[in-house]
Amino acid sequence: MARIDSDPLTGPMAGTSSSDPAAAAVDLTAAAAVGEVPPEIVAQSMGQYLHVWWQRVRGGESGVLPVVLGLVIVGVGFQIANGNFLSPQNLVNIFEQSSIYILLAMAEIFALLLGEIDLSTGLVMGLGSVVVVELVQPSGAASCALCPHGLAFPAWLAIGVTLLICAGVGLIQGSMVARLKMPSFIVTLGGWLILEGVCIIVLNGQPISLKNVTVPAQVQIYNIFWGYFSPTVSWILLAVVVVILAAWWWFGDASRRRRGLVAPPPSFTAIKIVGVAVAGVVLVGLCNVNRAHFGVIEGLPYIIVIVLAVLFIWTMLLQRTRFGRYVYAIGGNPEAARRAGVSLPSIRTWCFVLAALTAGIAGILFASWQVFLTTNIIKSSNSYVLLAVAAAVIGGTSLFGGRGKTIHGVLGGLIIGGIYNGLLLMGVSSEWVDILIAVVLLAAGTIDVLSRGGTRSRA
Amino acid sequence: MTGIQGDLKSGTPGEKAAEVPQDVDLTAATGAVADVPLEILAQSLGEYLRGWWQKLKSGDSGLLPVLVAMVIVAIAFELLTPENAYLRPSNLVYIFGLSTVYMVLAMGEIAVLLLGELDLSIGAVALMGGTIAYKLVQQPSPNWPWWLAILTSLVCCGVIGGLQGTLVARLRIPAFVVTLAGQLLFTGMLVVILGGADGSLSVSPTDPNQSVFYNLVQGNIDPVVSWAILAVVVVGFGTMMWLRASARRRSGLVAPPASLTAIKIGLMAVVGVVVLIICTVNRGGAFATIEGLPWVIPVVIVLLGLWTVLLQATRFGRYVYAIGGNPEAARRAGVRLPAIRTWCFVLCSATAGFAGILLGSFYYGQYSTNVGDPGQLVLYSVAASVIGGTSLFGGRGKPIHGVLGGLLIGGIAYGVSLMNLGSLSIPLEYILPGGVLLAAVLVDVLSRRGARTGSVVRV
Repeated sequence: MARIDSDPLTGPMAGTSSSDPAAAAVDLTAAAAVGEVPPEIVAQSMGQYLHVWWQRVRGGESGVLPVVLGLVIVGVGFQIANGNFLSPQNLVNIFEQSSIYILLAMAEIFALLLGEIDLSTGLVMGLGSVVVVELVQPSGAASCALCPHGLAFPAWLAIGVTLLICAGVGLIQGSMVARLKMPSFIVTLGGWLILEGVCIIVLNGQPISLKNVTVPAQVQIYNIFWGYFSPTVSWILLAVVVVILAAWWWFGDASRRRRGLVAPPPSFTAIKIVGVAVAGVVLVGLCNVNRAHFGVIEGLPYIIVIVLAVLFIWTMLLQRTRFGRYVYAIGGNPEAARRAGVSLPSIRTWCFVLAALTAGIAGILFASWQVFLTTNIIKSSNSYVLLAVAAAVIGGTSLFGGRGKTIHGVLGGLIIGGIYNGLLLMGVSSEWVDILIAVVLLAAGTIDVLSRGGTRSRA
Repeated sequence: MTGIQGDLKSGTPGEKAAEVPQDVDLTAATGAVADVPLEILAQSLGEYLRGWWQKLKSGDSGLLPVLVAMVIVAIAFELLTPENAYLRPSNLVYIFGLSTVYMVLAMGEIAVLLLGELDLSIGAVALMGGTIAYKLVQQPSPNWPWWLAILTSLVCCGVIGGLQGTLVARLRIPAFVVTLAGQLLFTGMLVVILGGADGSLSVSPTDPNQSVFYNLVQGNIDPVVSWAILAVVVVGFGTMMWLRASARRRSGLVAPPASLTAIKIGLMAVVGVVVLIICTVNRGGAFATIEGLPWVIPVVIVLLGLWTVLLQATRFGRYVYAIGGNPEAARRAGVRLPAIRTWCFVLCSATAGFAGILLGSFYYGQYSTNVGDPGQLVLYSVAASVIGGTSLFGGRGKPIHGVLGGLLIGGIAYGVSLMNLGSLSIPLEYILPGGVLLAAVLVDVLSRRGARTGSVVRV
């Protein structure tokens, strides 16, 4: 479906809309109502845009609307139950805690878009976390069976090697799925089990930590999760990002309009820019409130910037490149994609590599968050797999492939993190939290199936 | 596939076995296609063996690979373990007890795998079933009789399976998502029932009511009684097989050659005698006498018999195979897919609940969250099914595959733990089953691909 998104840009429709805007637009609006073409491409005015958007929502193609509503419900509900839920301190806290779910969900989306599943993301995260911490142990101090003397890598090298190892795991699993045609859930289930063993080997039964302040690499990795920009730098950063984004959108759309290509109405572009600016100001404002019990902790955490950067890069990759179009094409109809000349095995393998890479990033964050790693991380990694799938599906990514965006992982991850945080604030024990998350996953799966049934019956 | 078997059974009575030319024709066609069991068509032992060999060559190898693998594993560990202790009677009986839970779980899983679905929740359901049963026989209250406790636990698990099956069969939510959520959900509920993450339940081996649970795996039948039971079973079963085959031959129905029936009965007797000789050796060492057939062996055999009859000899079973082979064809033939699918999930979960009761008994009547990791139980049971020869793609598999696969997995796990590998022994407990699972799936995928291209050539 989403493959068609990009086609009107280059197809004959682009030409017609400029020569006879009114007729073509009306025609296209009807097509957009079916939910195949994004409204911002065909709508010529703000009113038309909103009209098409509403038609799309009614037609079952609701995009991020349900999950945003879900976020509002979670926010309001827990705020009523506990007045501290929406305090600036707790909101930043929620975002920090959700960052792992968000990254894992972004990883999972690569597999889900293909119509596959990756059940090993949790353990790839676990592997990433133990490897990165093991690599920055000072020489003579490490406990790993594979490197008895401690490698004392600088932080950048440790991170690079960790990401390479995780991507390598993805490459092996992806090749088994794509070239040997083994079912992905079994390959990644086997990978899950094997990685559990590998993590135990790497840990060698002894806890490892990032607590040694005399090792600069350990401090740097610790700061990935716990560090933050000063308030002034946060504002400057926000200003730079908003200005760049605004210029990019505004001039991009303007040049498209000049050349007679379909483009959203200027008012819509302006609203988009203002919306991003307002969201950024709210975010930085929240982060700049002092959130320490003692002393001062204020400013934008690095982690938020990292998550947004990954979101941006993966969104560009999936929405703006040929690779991304191929991914959606395979997810929508693998046979059609194959006949159109898409090389299925290589695209599929790459998706698994990217998924494992993203899970590796999550692993580094996880290590930085936990500081102290024992074999308990295996138990938490196991439940993280479920949460990753849940976050992606709750965010609006389809389990059947071809439908989903990286932003869904962010929104779904925030919902999961919000529920966790809210329930724990209320003093609910963790097994009830698990039960509730499972119910939410089932609900998301049901909604996915029902909405998909709705679109199919119309076709 | 086996849908055809059912049709043939009911469709061929008119054909006289005496019509030689037609018989030769049929053997040639079906021996190669491997869709019709040979005992139906072969008229002499030689013909049967030839057909079996053809079937083997065409990739449908049945039980042979798993039996060969068991022999290899047994010899390898016998040579590798210190003091060559692996094949001692006490170890062999222990391996059976250890494997029981995997065997029973795999038998349940196979019912779902035959449909081409997957149940990832059975680990958690098993632990829940065990917990419910153990909770119900606690003294002073509720102190239910053991049979009522088992029945209630199986019904509870059946209801759980029914709920999950309904979501899969009626709403068509992918089974792995429903059962993944189920795993999270029931693990949480398990902790709630146990009364906290470190809650535990136990049964006393001396209490007349509770000791039934304790004895399921730990109890032994007196050697003399064991021999008597074996004699009764072999004579009874042998007579039944012999009389049935000769009655079929008399009334002109297709039936296996008499020599084959005799060989089958002889084989059964030999296996029974070997198992009993192993079991009646004193395994208690110098201080105590432990000898006799463990209760768990007849229990597993009865369960295997029930599952085999249900899947191989009833209309329900034929429908299960039909759905697994080709759901659309089954639907058009009038099979009610949702009902059959839901029932498979119900039976699978009930079987899993029974496995959970056995698991507690294996741990000497103790129950806590530590007796088994739900995820690992699932992985082992799926691995056991696939290693045993059940296909992940539906329509191919038998309950006996679960028993043999489970025994193989348990044998590997115990062999590794005997080998004194130091720090490597725990990780290998994860890595080996994962590797074996991937290898088994690879074989499944490759043999299926071979069979498919083969049939294209033939048609």
